[in-house]
Amino acid sequence: MSTLTVEHVARIEGHGTISVEVEGGVVGEIRMDIIEPTRLFESMIVGRRFDEAPLITSRICGICSPNHAVTSLKAVEAAMGIEVSERTKMLRRLLVHGSYLQNHATHLYILAAPDYVGQPNVLPLAETHPEVFHRALAIKKLGNELTTMVGGRPVHPIAAAVGGFTAEPSAHDLETFAARLHAVANDVVETVALFSTFDIPTFQTQGEMLALHDDGDYAIYDGEICALDAGWCRPVSEYRQFVDESVVGHSNAKHSTVGGRTFMVGSLPRVNLSWDRLTPAARIVASKAGFRAVSKNTFYNNLCQAIELVDAAERCAILCETLLEDTGSSAPVKYTIRAGEGTAATEAPRGTLYHSVTIGEDGVLTAGDVITPTAQNLANLEADMRAFAPTVVHLPEEEFILRVEQLVRAYDPCLSCSVH
Amino acid sequence: MAKVAVFSLASDYGCQVQITNADDKLLEVLGQFDLAYWQLASSGHVPEEYDVAVIEGAVTTDEHVELLKRVRATAGTVIVIGACAVTGGIPALATSGVLEDRFDVVYGEGSALAFGGRISPLPVDAIIDVDYRVPGCPIEPAEFVAVLQRALMAVSDHIPREPMCAACKIEENVCFYESGTVCMGLITRTGCGAKCVSLGRPCTGCRGIAADANLVAARAIAVSHGIAAEKFDSALSLYNSAKGVVR
Repeated sequence: MSTLTVEHVARIEGHGTISVEVEGGVVGEIRMDIIEPTRLFESMIVGRRFDEAPLITSRICGICSPNHAVTSLKAVEAAMGIEVSERTKMLRRLLVHGSYLQNHATHLYILAAPDYVGQPNVLPLAETHPEVFHRALAIKKLGNELTTMVGGRPVHPIAAAVGGFTAEPSAHDLETFAARLHAVANDVVETVALFSTFDIPTFQTQGEMLALHDDGDYAIYDGEICALDAGWCRPVSEYRQFVDESVVGHSNAKHSTVGGRTFMVGSLPRVNLSWDRLTPAARIVASKAGFRAVSKNTFYNNLCQAIELVDAAERCAILCETLLEDTGSSAPVKYTIRAGEGTAATEAPRGTLYHSVTIGEDGVLTAGDVITPTAQNLANLEADMRAFAPTVVHLPEEEFILRVEQLVRAYDPCLSCSVH
Repeated sequence: MAKVAVFSLASDYGCQVQITNADDKLLEVLGQFDLAYWQLASSGHVPEEYDVAVIEGAVTTDEHVELLKRVRATAGTVIVIGACAVTGGIPALATSGVLEDRFDVVYGEGSALAFGGRISPLPVDAIIDVDYRVPGCPIEPAEFVAVLQRALMAVSDHIPREPMCAACKIEENVCFYESGTVCMGLITRTGCGAKCVSLGRPCTGCRGIAADANLVAARAIAVSHGIAAEKFDSALSLYNSAKGVVR
């Protein structure tokens, strides 16, 4: 039995090692070891003040820090019974959706695309496909500037605070960004078109799919958690009753199951569960790209990220325009510090993110829990690798490994998040 | 052409993301070096030889210590980026109390045994000599490019020495101490343009303690504004908890 090992899988966030045992063309044991060092965040917020929780936990991830910050803010507010204004909610939605633009563009073009065009990284694209390279930078840059406009900088937002925002974008900024977001429509549509040309293996995940779902909206900020196969929806506050987390020997990240099954979170589950809430433009390009909900082909997660780019660009433009007309305030509301327990979830680009906090009467945290998207996906990712590897094991070794890595990158795993 | 390799220890990769955010500015220096290794953005193995090492993250395992020693023996120039690598940053919050107990909180009773080789979080310069520092949580892309430029030209580091208050004055911000709110600007290394205070949030000290800072005076100022000394110390500990030097 020979073991193929990919140490420190490239073009993903964090350190992970894949090992695959192969003998006589037959795949044996297959594993993804998460060797990213744990940082113990859930222990670090204990003893800190409630308003430091969003600040500290956003450092779990430099890629989706706006999501961690917003989810933590919501958890703290739920614990202390704080109701924020509609304008604050709109700005938070803009922050989260703006992070989709930056995040998905980064993953699609910088991390995933080189696989499909046979390059080690994105830089050769600058010479071979300059239009693609510049499109990638343009979308990413717009996403960055959008989160900077709302949060003060692209990584680790500043202005989002408990109860509201300490600073707001100017009317001029909102106007400019609405126009720029409309102008990027062509680039995001082209992104879907590009990813629809890539050779996608025929493959079905056996896992369940979970995502936030909201009757009126493409759910990223609010809603209930719904399960695609099982057909149930449950309040976020019950997450510990349906997401089972367990410690596994070979991974510093915990694994998750739902009702005894592995499951997937992220763009594909979201698009499947909220297909009819996507903007019409996003549904049209998805259909043109040949995507039909419901799909359980894990590799389609990348295409769904591209579809979400179209949705996010349009939605952010509308949010900017609505904020321009709205006369409400996003200034932090007055609140009293009190004891309580709060839970919240948002849809981070890679999937559902849960935060919960327990706050004492003095405003100091006594407990905290975070379940990140990748931690939920890992068990399903391994199950997918076990099912997928035998279908490509006949390929030359290098190609075989690349295919398995491609599956991993379809998940867009964030390993530093997963071992927070 | 100088070969550059990018390494990450315990971090959130936010500073590496900021490198990718340097976009246009990065193109200015792109022709001046050869990117030899960058796990986040490129396939490939750590090369045998490279000239410049860029390191993100705090030191939290024996493996990190070994890696740093190898890196120092290989690279002529070491640049550390971000609060985690420069001061220990947020990961160093795990320094207080008993480390094993923290594993039990996160992974359950008795789990600490499974994490052999884990050490109390430290900044990189606790293990090896460092040539250049880019502070902040996260780093400023422009500052990184400027430091990389200095490193490539072998001009010495010039990390700002002064605290941030002067920048706040330039921005015409009202001092948070006026409203009895603790702010780390008094003692934090300048260079961010007082970004947080300008957006209505007190400074949390992510750029580390300035060389010229007067901690005793700052603490006394806090107390004179009705802020308990413990509150000042707690705020200070957010990015400056790392202790001890192993080498």
